[in-house]
Amino acid sequence: MSDIGKVRLRVPSSIKPGDVVQVRSLIIHPMERIERDPQGKIVAKNYNYINKVIVTYLGKTVAVFDTTQSVAENPFFSFTFKATDPGQLKVQFLDTTGGRYEGTADIKFS
Amino acid sequence: MRNPMPRRAVLKTLGALGLGVAAGLEPGARAHAQAPSFGQNESVQDAMKWLFGGKTIKDGSAIIKFDIPLIAENGSVVPVAVSVDSPMTPASYVKYIYIVADKNRIPVVTRVTLAPEAGKASVGANIRLGETGEVRAIVEQSDGTLLQVAREVKVTVGGCGG
Repeated sequence: MSDIGKVRLRVPSSIKPGDVVQVRSLIIHPMERIERDPQGKIVAKNYNYINKVIVTYLGKTVAVFDTTQSVAENPFFSFTFKATDPGQLKVQFLDTTGGRYEGTADIKFS
Repeated sequence: MRNPMPRRAVLKTLGALGLGVAAGLEPGARAHAQAPSFGQNESVQDAMKWLFGGKTIKDGSAIIKFDIPLIAENGSVVPVAVSVDSPMTPASYVKYIYIVADKNRIPVVTRVTLAPEAGKASVGANIRLGETGEVRAIVEQSDGTLLQVAREVKVTVGGCGG
């Protein structure tokens, strides 16, 4: 489980100014499910799952995902942004234990 | 008793931990009562109520494209994609995209908040489905209009556990 927090970002290889670009992101994370005891009662504990994904481009927030435990393990998210200037695209993943993982991609025009 | 002190110390620590847990849980429970948060165990009716109040949700099949398999063999990974045929200008854009799985114990799967800079309202994610049921994609536009598309998904092996 040492891979928790590994982020992969996929951005198309050639981007032209003004393009609406689709980005795919993946993070290695267990996204713990609800556990129940033999009586069927939910075990109260702090489940470790990602509850926020923040996408910023040139320092501006483009999209925010509020996620719950109904999202699959090692979650995949895709989103779009409008490439106006070269700069940094950053995706941050926040989990319920205070973990903060991020992936960045440099947007360049060819 | 050969070694009473450590035992007493252990008991004390346990007691303190118990108190800590109790104190930690209570404000959370109260906060839930006031403003529900995501990731709650609730019925889909309750979820829809606190998300959208009594507002009417119109049929959005004309502009929402909702990609989800009709049969999900493995409920623990179900790819979904929602794209909305709508302008993304500061005056009129898609503000939120919700994905709600009716039969999940935690029905609200995700809420995506979009900014006009996104250029296009098109998002995707991998979700879990506990059992066969409807999955909805609900779109809220910047003027407050709510649009919905629902699909029935057959799940062979549930993926929500518990």
